[in-house]
Amino acid sequence: MRRNPLLVIATMLAVLVSSFLVFTTLSARAIVENNTSRWQNGVHVVIFLDDRVTSTAHQQLQETLESYSEVRMVEYFSKSEATEEFKTLFQDQPELVQEVDFDILPTSLRINLNDPADYELIIERMDGNPAVKEIRASGEAIERLLTLTNTLVLSATIFAILIAFAAFILIINTLRLTAYAKRKEIKIMRTIGASATYIRLPFIFEAVFESLIGTSIAVGLGWGFIQYSKTSFIAESIFDIAISDSYLINLTLVLLLSTIIFGFFASFVGIRKVLND
Amino acid sequence: MIKLNNVSLVFQGGSVALSNVSTEISEGEFAYVIGHSGSGKSSLLKLLYKEYSPTKGEIEVADMDVTTLPKWKIPLLRRKLGIVTQEPQLLEDRTTYENISFALEVLGYEEKEIDEKTSTLIDLVDLNQSMYKFPNQLSGGEQTRVCIARALASNPLVLLCDEPTGNLDPDLSIQIVTLLEKINRAGTTVLMATHDSSIVNRRKKRVIQLKEGKLISDVDQGRYI
Repeated sequence: MRRNPLLVIATMLAVLVSSFLVFTTLSARAIVENNTSRWQNGVHVVIFLDDRVTSTAHQQLQETLESYSEVRMVEYFSKSEATEEFKTLFQDQPELVQEVDFDILPTSLRINLNDPADYELIIERMDGNPAVKEIRASGEAIERLLTLTNTLVLSATIFAILIAFAAFILIINTLRLTAYAKRKEIKIMRTIGASATYIRLPFIFEAVFESLIGTSIAVGLGWGFIQYSKTSFIAESIFDIAISDSYLINLTLVLLLSTIIFGFFASFVGIRKVLND
Repeated sequence: MIKLNNVSLVFQGGSVALSNVSTEISEGEFAYVIGHSGSGKSSLLKLLYKEYSPTKGEIEVADMDVTTLPKWKIPLLRRKLGIVTQEPQLLEDRTTYENISFALEVLGYEEKEIDEKTSTLIDLVDLNQSMYKFPNQLSGGEQTRVCIARALASNPLVLLCDEPTGNLDPDLSIQIVTLLEKINRAGTTVLMATHDSSIVNRRKKRVIQLKEGKLISDVDQGRYI
């Protein structure tokens, strides 16, 4: 390693980038899944009711909705409840609250579905119903977010694999250079009767060491990034950076184990020719 | 100890190194393998420690079937052999002591044993005065003696020497051969390849002569004519 410091640093950097991508991508996906799970357990469809229709008609509509197998729960939200909700949501903007005529806030039915993806069925069935003024569904937004997340995860994974491949090649090259520099020593060892394992060991150690250093730094940076995110603007937006420490620990252990196997395999490939000559 | 039965070695490209060579060397024997350059001396030795594989025939060394020996067992074979090559393969950044102790480390000896054995080997090859010198500070003969000491690190049953005196003057060559005979008298079988007729004719040992890959004579107390 002392012989080729630049090459060693390049190798560690490649492993670091690849591991960092994997760590942050998988963590981000877990965070998105936690958030969408939370959203999916909330309100999926909001039906704003036409106030010109009688309350009896509202009640019938609610009973109709509750009879659907796709619907888990329906909650009636009166005008006064809507007013209180508005005041809570916009409590930071008192001028707006003062200007609003709360009579315009409609009553609504808040629907929780067994499967959030069934929101389209509800919209279809409510189409043309005279008691319905407007329908809003969060399922569509969640679907778009999940699609976006999956696309980002796929892109990051492909990039991580490419970088990992580059790291693999770098490790092999580093080991081959070292083996070339030590060719006389290796030849003497083989003549004396050293086993292949004995000759391989220093190279295995070098490859695993380089991989572990890169991954350890990556994981450290990943943990730091997540901790920072919890107190940054991201956490103040729609996202709750909710990810358990046990998930991160398991992810760390899996990454470290993978990198050991990665280094091991790279060392076998790297000096196979030297041992077979 | 060593048996060759109808052994041939043909390289890729068709060049014949050895052709139908059969011979046996007993335990404790000292034999010269002689012949001009290209006669197959080195190839024969390399077959014995499985640097090459024979194209045809059977080879047995120290009760091991070398012909069918799997790759992972080659180190076990080589631990029964000591190998000395024409060019001294010494580590330039290590002293005489370290070059010899390196072999003992590789063989898995404990530190205390390494110290003891290294001192014994240095004594055997009479290199006490040069123990802490580096290879570039040693004469040709001293370098060869370091290689011999290193080859003896595993207490080999057979010592294979491929032209160990090839680069040495006559006086140094005699010193090396004398050392090898001393080792042989202690029980190690010695097979030495050489093209130096003066050494062979003086020592009255078994002489196996090769010419163009063929064994043309095998005589006890032979001469190189």
